[in-house]
Amino acid sequence: MTISSSQLRTTGGMATWSTHPWVRFGSRRLARLVISLLALVTASFLMIHLIPGDPVRSALGPAASQSLVEARRESLGLNDPLWVQYWHFLRSLVTGDLGTSITTGLPVSDVIGDRLPATVQLAVAAFVLAVLVSVPTGLVMGVLTRGGRRPRAELSFTSVSVVLAAIPEFLLAVGLVYLFAVKLAWLPVAGRSTPASYVLPVLALAIGPAAVLARICRVELLSVLQTDYLRTARAKRLPAATIYLRHALPNAVTATITLGGLLLGGMVAGTVLVENVFGWPGLGSTIVSSILSKDYPLVQGVVLVYGIGVLLVNLVVDVALALLDPRSTIRES
Amino acid sequence: MATRTKSGRHGWAAVIRTPLGLSAGLLLLLVLLLAVFAPVLWSHQASAIDTDHLLEGPSASHWLGTDNLGRDIFYRVLVATRQSIALALLATAIAVVTGLLLGTAPAVLGRRAGRLVTAVVNVAVAFPGLLLALFFAVIFGVGAKGAVLAIGFAGAPAFARLTQTLVAGVAARDFVAAARIAGAGRIRLLVRHILPNISEPLVVNATIGAGGALLAFAGLSFLGLGVQPPAYDWGRLMGESLNSIYVHPAAALAPGVAVVISGLAFNLFGEAVAKGLGVESIGVTRYRRCSEDSAQPEAPTSQYVVEDVVLSVRDLRVTFLGPDGPITPVRGVSFTIGHGEAVGVVGESGSGKSLTALAVAQLIEPPGQVSAERLDYLREPLLDTPDADRRQLLGTSFAMVFQDPTTSFNPTKRIGAQLAEGAREHQGLTRQQATTRAIDRLRAVRVPAAERRAGQYPHEFSGGMRQRAMIGMGLMGEPALIVADEPTTALDVTVQRQVLRLLESIRTEDGVALLLISHDITVIGQVCDRVLVMYAGRIVEDLPATALATGARHPYTRALLAAVPDLDTDLEQPLAVIPGRPVDPGRLPSGCAFAARCEFADDRCRTEDPELETQLDEGHRVACWHPQVVELGWPIRMGQR
Amino acid sequence: MADTNGTAMSELTFEQVTVRFGTGSRALTAVDSVDLTVPSGQVVGLVGESGSGKSTLARAAVGLTELAGGQILLDGVPLQHRSRGPRPLQLVFQDPYSSLDPRMTIGNSIAEAVPRSADYSRAGEVARLLELVDLDPERASAYPAALSGGQRQRVALARALAGRPEVILADEITSALDVSVQGTVLNLVRDLQRQLHLSMLFISHNLAVVRYVSDYIAVMYLGRIVEFGPAAELLGDPQHPYTRELLAAAPRRGALALDVEELDPALRAVADAEPADPHHPPPGCRFHPRCPIGPLVRPDRELCQTVDPTPDAGRHRHHTACHYAAAALQAVDLVQ
Repeated sequence: MTISSSQLRTTGGMATWSTHPWVRFGSRRLARLVISLLALVTASFLMIHLIPGDPVRSALGPAASQSLVEARRESLGLNDPLWVQYWHFLRSLVTGDLGTSITTGLPVSDVIGDRLPATVQLAVAAFVLAVLVSVPTGLVMGVLTRGGRRPRAELSFTSVSVVLAAIPEFLLAVGLVYLFAVKLAWLPVAGRSTPASYVLPVLALAIGPAAVLARICRVELLSVLQTDYLRTARAKRLPAATIYLRHALPNAVTATITLGGLLLGGMVAGTVLVENVFGWPGLGSTIVSSILSKDYPLVQGVVLVYGIGVLLVNLVVDVALALLDPRSTIRES
Repeated sequence: MATRTKSGRHGWAAVIRTPLGLSAGLLLLLVLLLAVFAPVLWSHQASAIDTDHLLEGPSASHWLGTDNLGRDIFYRVLVATRQSIALALLATAIAVVTGLLLGTAPAVLGRRAGRLVTAVVNVAVAFPGLLLALFFAVIFGVGAKGAVLAIGFAGAPAFARLTQTLVAGVAARDFVAAARIAGAGRIRLLVRHILPNISEPLVVNATIGAGGALLAFAGLSFLGLGVQPPAYDWGRLMGESLNSIYVHPAAALAPGVAVVISGLAFNLFGEAVAKGLGVESIGVTRYRRCSEDSAQPEAPTSQYVVEDVVLSVRDLRVTFLGPDGPITPVRGVSFTIGHGEAVGVVGESGSGKSLTALAVAQLIEPPGQVSAERLDYLREPLLDTPDADRRQLLGTSFAMVFQDPTTSFNPTKRIGAQLAEGAREHQGLTRQQATTRAIDRLRAVRVPAAERRAGQYPHEFSGGMRQRAMIGMGLMGEPALIVADEPTTALDVTVQRQVLRLLESIRTEDGVALLLISHDITVIGQVCDRVLVMYAGRIVEDLPATALATGARHPYTRALLAAVPDLDTDLEQPLAVIPGRPVDPGRLPSGCAFAARCEFADDRCRTEDPELETQLDEGHRVACWHPQVVELGWPIRMGQR
Repeated sequence: MADTNGTAMSELTFEQVTVRFGTGSRALTAVDSVDLTVPSGQVVGLVGESGSGKSTLARAAVGLTELAGGQILLDGVPLQHRSRGPRPLQLVFQDPYSSLDPRMTIGNSIAEAVPRSADYSRAGEVARLLELVDLDPERASAYPAALSGGQRQRVALARALAGRPEVILADEITSALDVSVQGTVLNLVRDLQRQLHLSMLFISHNLAVVRYVSDYIAVMYLGRIVEFGPAAELLGDPQHPYTRELLAAAPRRGALALDVEELDPALRAVADAEPADPHHPPPGCRFHPRCPIGPLVRPDRELCQTVDPTPDAGRHRHHTACHYAAAALQAVDLVQ
């Protein structure tokens, strides 16, 4: 009797546990992450094998002797059957072994560990700056220009943000270097030695996404202002501040986060260009130089790290959305 | 979609006519012309090596100076146009074609293969384009060819996703289902029905995508992964001169400016086309509150004594500024509502009935303007009352119920909190008190388990329950008037009855007046004491509900009554029809707006607009030159209340 | 093939038809073991509230939705949904703004539905069909955007007729139209039906509209048919309490059906009950939580909470799926 009742309780508990919306959300999201990760890992593995010709030959150059190429192929395991190589690749990945750089002979994981913090610093600082500037700007512009008010302010906001968003990071970087480092000589041209040297790279990376995000914020706010429930809030005769802060803002922000996440993902990639302009000792300059020197194990490792970074950003965005929007999780049940 | 198509071909012409569209179009044309002709005209100057002028600054002979071989930078930038644009367009073409193939594959392939393609695209689209481009650049190798393929394939997932979304949107529409039933195969569906309907957004996005490809290509070339010497494009020119930016900034900045300008040309043209082909907005209009109504409240003119009047409206107008001058969808509406009275407003879509309700509720947002000779609520002239006072008055004594309870609640806030916040604002209740009141009000509108439901979100309520909660929200104060705008249209008949019954019991128990807006004359006839029939922004008849059955005078009212079948309609007779279409408020005819659809209309009707005047008996007003007095020509089907 | 102007239309039969959407805990049985017959040359009106499964039934018949069980027969022969060729069943959709391809002239839209094997000219057929629905054949080259809602709905009817179907299914074809236009379309449906002796399943949430065009009426609730009978008989002598509810809620001028004050609390609670969630249909009789003569009002009727009345429906008048169908009469009369 006791056994059966405890069994009942257990199964009952199991049922509620597995049908709990958060558990379902979590497991589904985790499954997606695993699939994406697997795709990423497979793609970066296949990358080397998809290169036409012999990657080792092209890395060592035409002058290298055939026996050297053969030896290097053998040591890299390139002569094994594909699936065996894949298995080795996965196994060493799990142990944190990403192979050895062809050009320097250092373990790839060491190179990445050395370079990663600089890139993360850059991306995070730029993202924080972009969000802090763009979201309030976009929302305020939305409120000011709602219902076709202040057409001139709207026009100048839109044109400035369109132009800023259309300038790619590296161009902006060059422009900033010219203006602030060459012309005005306020800030260093390159490097990562002083706090001042952070200013230009962060700005170059942040301005474009900030312009896009500000535009999106404004458009989102305007569309929320058009909704029926905002009319309901007005029908309750609430003060304007309450209407904007309590009703419009939370609903405008959910859509903004979705797009903000995409932008952050783009920013991670944008570091590649900006780092090259400023000689920033991060992963971005590493990947370009390794592509040019055909250091494939290093390329592979950096691509993996960048990809994982993007996937993590996406994960954070999804969780944030689920937390903010009551419908996103409960609707599933 | 319908509006987008309506603009159709002439929409493209309209794009060119806007200032933005025109300048973007001209800019794009200039860039394309340069791409075609610059190498033909100036490739000689661009490659001429001048060893006397190495790395010089701008001068008369070299406008932008020279590079480290003494070549003229200005000409090199011009000549590089072709390489930059051509490669970008090539990459875009690859992205578009691959994206289209991947995006339409789910519609053509079977379910399982389609799902696989979708999954692949979903994984790929999560990665930023630049990262994908670097990935492909490794595979395809460094150089122009590799970069074109890399940027093309990197752009494909985003385009595939866009195509998938668009295809799914169109495929869900009934005309695709109809074509399937008619026997069209998958390929025919795709080619004849789906692709034509998504072509415009695809073209727009391909244009914007070309701008993106241009920038991405410049990026790759800048990094040294794109165009290889001796060939050059803008990115390469920039990359080469970055190191000498101290001595020679123009060399680095000029190609950058070229990249930005051409990128903008593509982007802006795409955006202009998108805007031009999108839904036509009412147009940018300026906010201006209309308060030319300085007339002070005078002696009441209606048949009601002043204490009994809850709402008094005279010559109410609602105006929007349209592209071709002002549009007035509500043109001079006058009526009063007495204490506890139920007044119904009936009319077809576009008759101005909902705008009348919103204007009375002071909920018309700019660019709309409300004016009235008089708009008194509980004897306060609403248009002249200071904002704060008006908010307090309406916040406590005025209730509004909207048509769609699904969209009228804030989806991110709990029902109880949404009810409570008005009371906290206007009645100074604490959070605790307001919540208690909210639960009490939910109980009053017969929401079961009110306490639990107050803690739920709107999506956890059914439509009927939401509408009850909405009514409950109106009862948080002590309303003297409930304005209900099509409160039951979105609900099922049985639920509709529940909601009407609830409104009715609130009215009889608490003596609250009701202004009920509906397109359904039978609903109005069931609930209301008095009926206002609206047509083209005017009240054409104001009559007691009991007179609807036999006493309607206006031909429009009579036609409405005859056109709607009910459970007593004669099955042997065809239903009455009203020929023609409702009037577009932007194109009002002179004279009576109904004249074109009226069988009794004569020349006078077509030139002079009749006033709403009292006819024969008190409490019955008609705006018609030929009010019909004969009994309705069909069996009387209206019972007495 | 049936002759559009002739008499040989056919009988459509739904046999134990079940349609399911989704899987697992989110599964939804939209149509549950439905038996329904549309007799040759007759119009069957199908009423029910949103979510009752009436549109799903029509979409299943034309092959837009797959069956989870049962079969659909035309003249006793199971329908095979071929991917090509003419279809003997044609569906007219609710929203004429969505059901016509905005990029195709109305003439082409209609021509597309004319069978390829036809031995008559397509252009002539399009003109004939447009005339049939009271539209000027000259307008064949017009795009849908140039037409009003009522005119579009007529084009949709013409397109359905172009396939020379044996049965027409009309899904809420007037509910997207303005009241002044609705009458035109209803008149046309009646004329066409009489002229062409169409077999027709006419779906609407509006009982008054259904009454106007139908010979028979079927009432659907939460995926099941709860009552079926000749139109006049069913409306004059409804057996199922839900049918009575619908009748009471239907437009009938002046007859104010809103009086509730005198109801006892149990009846009032039932009258205010929420429609059931189709994902979790109540056990037993699906209508019991809302039933004015059911277990919540009459505690002795526990039967309704456990036993499904559907299998025994054949024993009642109008195939009424109600344990107390006969008794329903008196009880509801007392209430009203």
